[in-house]
Amino acid sequence: MIELDHVSKWFGGVVAVSDVSFSVGPGVTALLGPNGAGKSTVIRLVCGLTLPSQGRISVLGRQPRRHLDLFGHIGLVPQQEALFESMTAGAFVTLAAELHSLDAPGSAARAALGAVDLDAGDTRALAEYSKGMRQRVKVAQALVHDPPLLVLDEPLDGLDPRQRLTLIALFRRLGSEGRGVLVSSHVLDEVERFGSRVLVMAQGRLAAEGDFHAIRTLMDNRPHRLRLRTDRPRRLGAALLETGTVVGLAVGGGDQLVVDTLDVAGFRRAVAPAARTADARLLELVPLDDDLESVFRYLVGPDPSPTR
Amino acid sequence: MTALFRMFLASQVTRARLLGLGSLGLLSVLLGLALGAGDGGDPATEATELVAAFGLSLFVPVTCLVFASAVLGEPHEDATLVYLWLRPVARWRLVAAAAAAALAVSLPVVVVPLALAAAVAGAGADLVLATVASCSVATVAYTGVFIWLGLRVRRALVWGLAYILVWEGFVARAGGTASLLAIRPHTRSLLAHLAGGSGELIEVSAATGVVLPLVAAALALALAVRRLTRQEVA
Amino acid sequence: MSDARILDRGYRRYEGPRRGVAGAVGSLARHSALRALGLRRSFWAKLLPLASVGIAYVPALVFVGIAALLPDQLRQGSDLLPSYAGYYGFITAAIVLFVALVGPEVLCPDRRHRMLGLYLASPLTRDTYLVAKVLAVVPVLALVTLGPPLLLLVGLTFADAGPDSPGAFAADLVRIIVGGLVISAAYTAVSLAVASFTDRRPVASAGVILVLLVSSVATVALVAGGASERLFLLNLGAVPFELVQRIYGERGEMDVATVELVLANLAWTLGAAALLRGRYQRLRVAR
Repeated sequence: MIELDHVSKWFGGVVAVSDVSFSVGPGVTALLGPNGAGKSTVIRLVCGLTLPSQGRISVLGRQPRRHLDLFGHIGLVPQQEALFESMTAGAFVTLAAELHSLDAPGSAARAALGAVDLDAGDTRALAEYSKGMRQRVKVAQALVHDPPLLVLDEPLDGLDPRQRLTLIALFRRLGSEGRGVLVSSHVLDEVERFGSRVLVMAQGRLAAEGDFHAIRTLMDNRPHRLRLRTDRPRRLGAALLETGTVVGLAVGGGDQLVVDTLDVAGFRRAVAPAARTADARLLELVPLDDDLESVFRYLVGPDPSPTR
Repeated sequence: MTALFRMFLASQVTRARLLGLGSLGLLSVLLGLALGAGDGGDPATEATELVAAFGLSLFVPVTCLVFASAVLGEPHEDATLVYLWLRPVARWRLVAAAAAAALAVSLPVVVVPLALAAAVAGAGADLVLATVASCSVATVAYTGVFIWLGLRVRRALVWGLAYILVWEGFVARAGGTASLLAIRPHTRSLLAHLAGGSGELIEVSAATGVVLPLVAAALALALAVRRLTRQEVA
Repeated sequence: MSDARILDRGYRRYEGPRRGVAGAVGSLARHSALRALGLRRSFWAKLLPLASVGIAYVPALVFVGIAALLPDQLRQGSDLLPSYAGYYGFITAAIVLFVALVGPEVLCPDRRHRMLGLYLASPLTRDTYLVAKVLAVVPVLALVTLGPPLLLLVGLTFADAGPDSPGAFAADLVRIIVGGLVISAAYTAVSLAVASFTDRRPVASAGVILVLLVSSVATVALVAGGASERLFLLNLGAVPFELVQRIYGERGEMDVATVELVLANLAWTLGAAALLRGRYQRLRVAR
């Protein structure tokens, strides 16, 4: 649905996006990165709000900006907070529906606002809305015309936990219906709930793409960290060192043992025989850095590789 | 386009703007009344000067600046333009709806009180008609130019004031080519022709006094469409 | 004994000398003056203010050039050169534009970006805050109200077309300074008073221009229609300049007594200052 091919964007002397190539298909894809990584610029490029300085972008088979009707197939939730403050939510979303030439703009607006738990009949102006309500209005105007591609820049900002869960469930449902949903977010533990496909950006470059579990596996310069619980941590630790699959080991308080390994598969094969050798009962084996936050931190943080 | 027109119209009509500019309109009527009741000079000449100096040189351009520079300029500056731009709506329709909304507000705000001022000043029907015609042409011309300005620069209101004050108020008054590149000399000449006087800074026919400002407006709106098509949106 | 030491404890109190209210006022005045001229900011922030200042000096440079190139015509009593008071007639538009830019620039952003609360949390009170703003604007406006005639005086003196004696030079200098400060003070008060009504700079700028131009056009129209000449005392766009002409012993277009002119100028200046203070005393500063 979205194809970026060696896309770069610079503003004067500042390179915001550098030689980025990726493709996004149906389903939910999370766009992650620290502040200044270029996520919002990528989103603007995908929606045609700005032109690439170099490279090609294709959205639903067409170039944004060249084809005005393409905008009828994209729904964008922009990052900026400002709305048409004097309008009501119903009027704002109805306007969006009218601009998309929908047959029944009023009912489409009611449905879109209902999907985000807002009342289309609310007579208050948007200026009086809380941050979370404004965010949901933005989502509603992006959904009103039922677009096949949704692009959301920090859509969970300002929402309380219940509202976040509601929207996450909505995005997952939309993704499972075959729509493309590209979400930019900092809220990593909730991005994990969208699904596992991620695009990680750092300093204007694409640092990784794909399933974040698989990305983690590919990071062979970062030892995987696992925690074991056993009744004999020191004896098991010694036995694991003998297997040659462990590069670091720490005996924690009580029954805990934390190991670092560069070969997760080999370690998993070796841990049971090592426990038998040490006559230790293995109570628990838990990966500590197989989550998105760890992947993210490893990708955008400083390289731990020792200098030669 | 109706939806856009209604939206632009609602965004323009704020209480502060109507009060402020309405006060100026009321002042013009009061000045007209004072001229009509006064006993100095020739009423027609004084009233024409009032329409020219207060209306065409100040009230009309400032009113158009306030509305026209904001109609697309404000959404551009506060980044809400994206909610209009990222829709399958032709750019010319956006600009046309914006221009229609700005004119729908500006025309009654300026033409009605100035025509009333000309009427109560006792200068006769010729001046009233000349006021309506010249102020209408001026409103259209300034609206077109300031819509483009609102998209082109940040703080369009300040740049527009600089244009009104420095270019039209100072440079173009010197006459010559500079006068041809300003709206005010044309509309003041049109007023003078229609009110029965002679042209002021530039000798142009009444038809030229109508056509050139309208051409300027059309050109400015075309540039606004082009700008909207090509510019980066928030 | 270990030679370990902690170098960064994070937050530490400032233990050095404190400059007090005077220092705070001076800092704010300096910062505001720089901001008004767009200095230390982008090119676009500088363009309009510095262009206005530049336009105000252009006629002075032209006249000095004329004096240097055509000395004989000047000795023969030609009236190629304007008087120092008459010079303002060439630069009124530039002055009005500059006045409309400066006042809003120093007042409006502090309210719009909610900095005012931060300033009032320092040794500054609402009154000393306004004093700082006035101390910023008066000298900045003096760039266009005092600087150009001063340049004219100095340039003409060097071109041998200036005052005949040191005494005459000193007299002209004093008149230029007083006249420039009269205009600067009046328009400082008006510009800041108008800017106190809105936190949006462009709207405040438009307001300043409208106040000046509307009072001018309206009073001229009324007097031309037969109303009393005293109505000119309501002409904010002309009263300070007419007063400057009286300082030079000249008379402009206003047929009013000099005393009335002085009182009117004082009333506008003090009245606008009182309005400004009143607005800021009642202003609710909260986040």
